[in-house]
Amino acid sequence: MPAPFSQDCQVGNAAIAVESPLPNVSEALRQHQKIKILAIGASTLVRRTARRGGHTDEAREILQHAIKGLDVVMINRGVSGELSAQAAARIQNEVALTEPDLVLWQVGTNDALAYVPLDELENTVVETLRWLRDHKVDVVLVGLQYVDRMEQDTNYKAVRELLRTIATRENVMIVRRYEAQRLLNQAKGSGGGLIPDEFQQSEAGYICLAQYLARAITLGVFGDAMKLRSHPAHPDSPL
Amino acid sequence: MSRQANPVDFWRGLALVAIFINHIPGIYYSRFTHANYSISDSADLFVFLAGWAMRYMVGSPGNQPTAWYIVLRVSGRALTLYAAQVMITMVAIAMLAGVALWRDNPLLLEWHNAAAIFQDPVPTHVGLALLTHQLGYFDILPLYVVLMMAAPVIVLIDRYAPNWLLPISLLVYAVTLTFRISVPTWPVEGGWFFNPLAWQLVFVLGFVLAREDGVGGFVRRHIFPIRLIALPIVVAGLFVVLYNWWPDPTKFPQPRLFFLLSKTYVTPPRIIQFLALIAVMSVTYPYILRFASRLVEVLSMLGRNSLYVFCMGSILSLAGQIIRFIFQGNIAVDTAVVIFGIAILVFTAWLPEWRESFKARRGTRVSSLASSPAPAS
Repeated sequence: MPAPFSQDCQVGNAAIAVESPLPNVSEALRQHQKIKILAIGASTLVRRTARRGGHTDEAREILQHAIKGLDVVMINRGVSGELSAQAAARIQNEVALTEPDLVLWQVGTNDALAYVPLDELENTVVETLRWLRDHKVDVVLVGLQYVDRMEQDTNYKAVRELLRTIATRENVMIVRRYEAQRLLNQAKGSGGGLIPDEFQQSEAGYICLAQYLARAITLGVFGDAMKLRSHPAHPDSPL
Repeated sequence: MSRQANPVDFWRGLALVAIFINHIPGIYYSRFTHANYSISDSADLFVFLAGWAMRYMVGSPGNQPTAWYIVLRVSGRALTLYAAQVMITMVAIAMLAGVALWRDNPLLLEWHNAAAIFQDPVPTHVGLALLTHQLGYFDILPLYVVLMMAAPVIVLIDRYAPNWLLPISLLVYAVTLTFRISVPTWPVEGGWFFNPLAWQLVFVLGFVLAREDGVGGFVRRHIFPIRLIALPIVVAGLFVVLYNWWPDPTKFPQPRLFFLLSKTYVTPPRIIQFLALIAVMSVTYPYILRFASRLVEVLSMLGRNSLYVFCMGSILSLAGQIIRFIFQGNIAVDTAVVIFGIAILVFTAWLPEWRESFKARRGTRVSSLASSPAPAS
């Protein structure tokens, strides 16, 4: 059964569009009942509801809850402020060192803020995705953060669209965090929830992100048939 | 009276300028720093020269202060560096918060690992004080603090068992790489970007090579053949960086970390290329001095006042990133950021030297007035 959403995260689900199979994760699951996930560009927020662990650990917990007997090893290798070009080099090293089945790559926000030329960003991301495919490692891209102030920023928008285009062309899964978080915020604005400060809003976004990731991975592993069986549950409410 | 221009201050000044530019990601001028043509970068040079400069504190054989004095001195330096790190971090946090308020853009509060400070301030402030929480691009000084905290042990081994220092350092390095030991961050989970257990080797190499006898003496005596060996390594490093010539990291045998190009663990290929680079580049200093003496004087002045310049450079790098973000980074903005940034770095280095010389002049005048005969009443 696919990883469920909490009621509050349900609203953002409409924005998670590009889903692709995760054959290497499926294979690892079939052979060992164990998957190793490498998170690059990890969450910079502290998970206030837990004694330790970030929001990627939350995705691990949801996955383990959703797939009985599954052992998920989550390896966090985020470096704050890092551009995709530096992350790309590190990804190769980390894959060599940790041999993951899946890479979760939060990409684009720092490049957008640093005004990295779009063609450079595209080359970096595409080359890295192809290198990972050649090395039998699945990828889930995690797109840009949502901040309403950036909605009119043309560069931010261009980076967002570029990542979506790359994901479609290269047939990799992308969690469209920006769109999902925007829907969450709209729901809040229309009385769908209560988020008193900016960080709670952001943290809510990360909690939903963890749920979206878990959902995307289960769908990537078990395929379309599961979408029909999905129904909301309440693993961890963000609000 | 400030000391004369010398190679150590000159190269340290150059490293400081390069760090300032490289810490503004995306800036046009970063393509002209040696990080784009070399496996190692200015961080290696900075840490190596920090170790080299510690040799001046310790003194040369036959002219050494007491061990107790040295231990107190290097410990005092560690405290100064710690205070500097805390100060620039607080300024950086205020800058991010101020600009987020001014631009009404909360995204800036999450930039460079700052989010946890605003989101969950209680544990994160403990982490800031313990150096287990570091802002992005404000992570070299914590390494330097830890190295200087370890410096009393280093100088005592150097004093009483000098031949053991490098082997011990190599052993710590090898164990760290073999077992991939990292220093954890907290409360945000992760590891230090500059792993002190690995980077201590670069610091110790600087300290050991600065010694006139032992390994340092051997290198000085054989510098010509060493440069002949080093030159092809530097050229090969150029091709590795420009054309991505390094083999696929997954093809290396275990323990793989020894063969990868990692900055966090300052892996062997990086250290070898760095040592080759300094062996080759050291020959250029007399020529640079002859043909660009003014440049040598200015960069040496930056190097002489490295802590002030480093702190100001860190803050200016963040300011540069904010300015690029606001003005949508382009070459005109980048040019202005680099010119004004370097000018402020030069002013930052000049100010303490001017203050010292002003004090010295005033002291001379006061003493000459005191020694001159009193006027007859």
